[in-house]
Amino acid sequence: MGKERLKKRFRERNTEILSPSAKIVRWIFSIVLLLYTSITIFVIGITVMDSMKSKGDLVTNFVGLPKAWTLENYVKVLTEENLLRYAANSVFLVVVGTLGCLFLGALTAYGISRFEFRGKGFIVAYFLIGMMVPIQVSVLPLFLILRTIGLLNNLLGLALVYVSGISMGCFIFQKFFQTIPMAMEESARMDGAGDFKIFFRIIVPLCKPVIMTVALITAIGQWNDFYMPMVLLGKRSTYTLTLIIYQYIGQFTKHMGESMAAVIITLIPIIVLYFLFSSQIVEGISGGAVKG
Amino acid sequence: MRKKHAHIKFILPGFLFYTCFVVLPIIYVFGLSFVEWSGMGPMKFSGLDNFIKVFTAQNFAPIFFHALGNNVKYLLCVWLIITPIQYLLAYLFFIKIPAHRYLRFMVFMPYVISSTIVSFFATLIFNPIFGFLNKFLEGIGLEQLQGAWFGDPKWAFKLMVMLIIWQGAGSGIMIFYSNFMDISKDVMEACRIDGCTEWQRFTRILIPLSLPSCASIITMSSIWALALFDLPFILGGRNGGVSGSLDFANLVFYRYTFGNALSGRSELGFGAAICVIMFIFMMTVTVIQRKILKKFEYDT
Repeated sequence: MGKERLKKRFRERNTEILSPSAKIVRWIFSIVLLLYTSITIFVIGITVMDSMKSKGDLVTNFVGLPKAWTLENYVKVLTEENLLRYAANSVFLVVVGTLGCLFLGALTAYGISRFEFRGKGFIVAYFLIGMMVPIQVSVLPLFLILRTIGLLNNLLGLALVYVSGISMGCFIFQKFFQTIPMAMEESARMDGAGDFKIFFRIIVPLCKPVIMTVALITAIGQWNDFYMPMVLLGKRSTYTLTLIIYQYIGQFTKHMGESMAAVIITLIPIIVLYFLFSSQIVEGISGGAVKG
Repeated sequence: MRKKHAHIKFILPGFLFYTCFVVLPIIYVFGLSFVEWSGMGPMKFSGLDNFIKVFTAQNFAPIFFHALGNNVKYLLCVWLIITPIQYLLAYLFFIKIPAHRYLRFMVFMPYVISSTIVSFFATLIFNPIFGFLNKFLEGIGLEQLQGAWFGDPKWAFKLMVMLIIWQGAGSGIMIFYSNFMDISKDVMEACRIDGCTEWQRFTRILIPLSLPSCASIITMSSIWALALFDLPFILGGRNGGVSGSLDFANLVFYRYTFGNALSGRSELGFGAAICVIMFIFMMTVTVIQRKILKKFEYDT
């Protein structure tokens, strides 16, 4: 049994018999790409090392290992520059924005894909608008709407905007729900379960992987967002980490070490998520595309 | 058994939020484009005045059309450079070049990094005074090649496109890749047995079968190309870089709407008119593109 499988795998691997020249071409491409991707490692590596250098060391020794490893830059940004506060703002936005977006998106997608009603085609198209129209078109009205309801320069206002951006999630959830057979819900309904009970007890547990995928791409998008916070969060106490880094770029020569530390602090959660869940993130990105 | 209208209670909450904060703003911006309003006080209906001003105002029209020209230039880069590169890389991963798993992981990684951090890295490399690149050129004795990079109008645009490839190409690559993987194994097997070459397989099977997905990727990336903002704004500043080399329609919009650049006070109606023009431009490009791409589609 095991031998058979091994043989099969061996055969699959060798379906393509390559000529020597084709092999060389492949190697060349992969070496070029290896060099290209090493830029990423180089840049992140330098930033990590620079963030751990003392001020004098950083000026004279920009590229290269620190003479003495120190965490003073981190201590400084976290205490004097109040970075924790901005990090808390970012975390708040991402948590509220992503959870709300997931909840509304899944609910809406379930309503659309599980029930037959008139005007369904219109509703499906209606919820796609958000994916087709870039946020820049609607940012000015959003600014005015939030000002009218008194939530401009308020984290809650931006969180509301994030929660409402359900197009992508709704689209992915719809595609997933179509793959779940109706039979399970039918039998639950026979036992007298209501619509919401069926949704939360049967459907939600089934779509844990897809929830994870949508949550990851939504959260990463919101964590990295620059444009919306810049326009809608004008007060310094509501700044997010991306806005702080934008400021640091402007005064880089004055605060080199601190800005390196701030960048690393902003980058760590994203990189950790990517290392843990890269396949789900990739799946979400390619699944969110409107195919065909 | 099922009650009628059971779907409403599922759709309604999402519908309300989505309508208020996604759809309503789009309608609102169209309405705003017909009024004269500074954001305070009463609105004044002004018909098509705002649009006429966009196209004719001496101190505005040249800047706007220069920026729009940059958008078109970038759009051409997306079609002719970025998309083909994405397609090629997806193909390389598909044929499993050596170390393809690691490469896939690393090529996609910058996609999850925020544009502000990408700009920060760009500053580290390209800053004329302390950036690595100039230091490196100095170190190997090629001082004559040192440049101002983002401060040089000849370089700024090219460097930005490179940065965008580094940061953003991953998504397109992964979409192309997942489409290659969706192609049925039977077809691939059949062409292997029939003894077709790699080139034939690429041109006769992979390209035609992945065209529909190409169409949607190109449509999406064109829309985003016309909405480009973050990188040029952070790298070139709000005035669009040295001699406008990094000026894009969206930066102009931002400057004139939130930055009072036209007449010293914010004119929201005018800003909205810029938005509407951008929107119409985007839709036109998308529709034309769809028509052209449809012609290339295979009948299946």
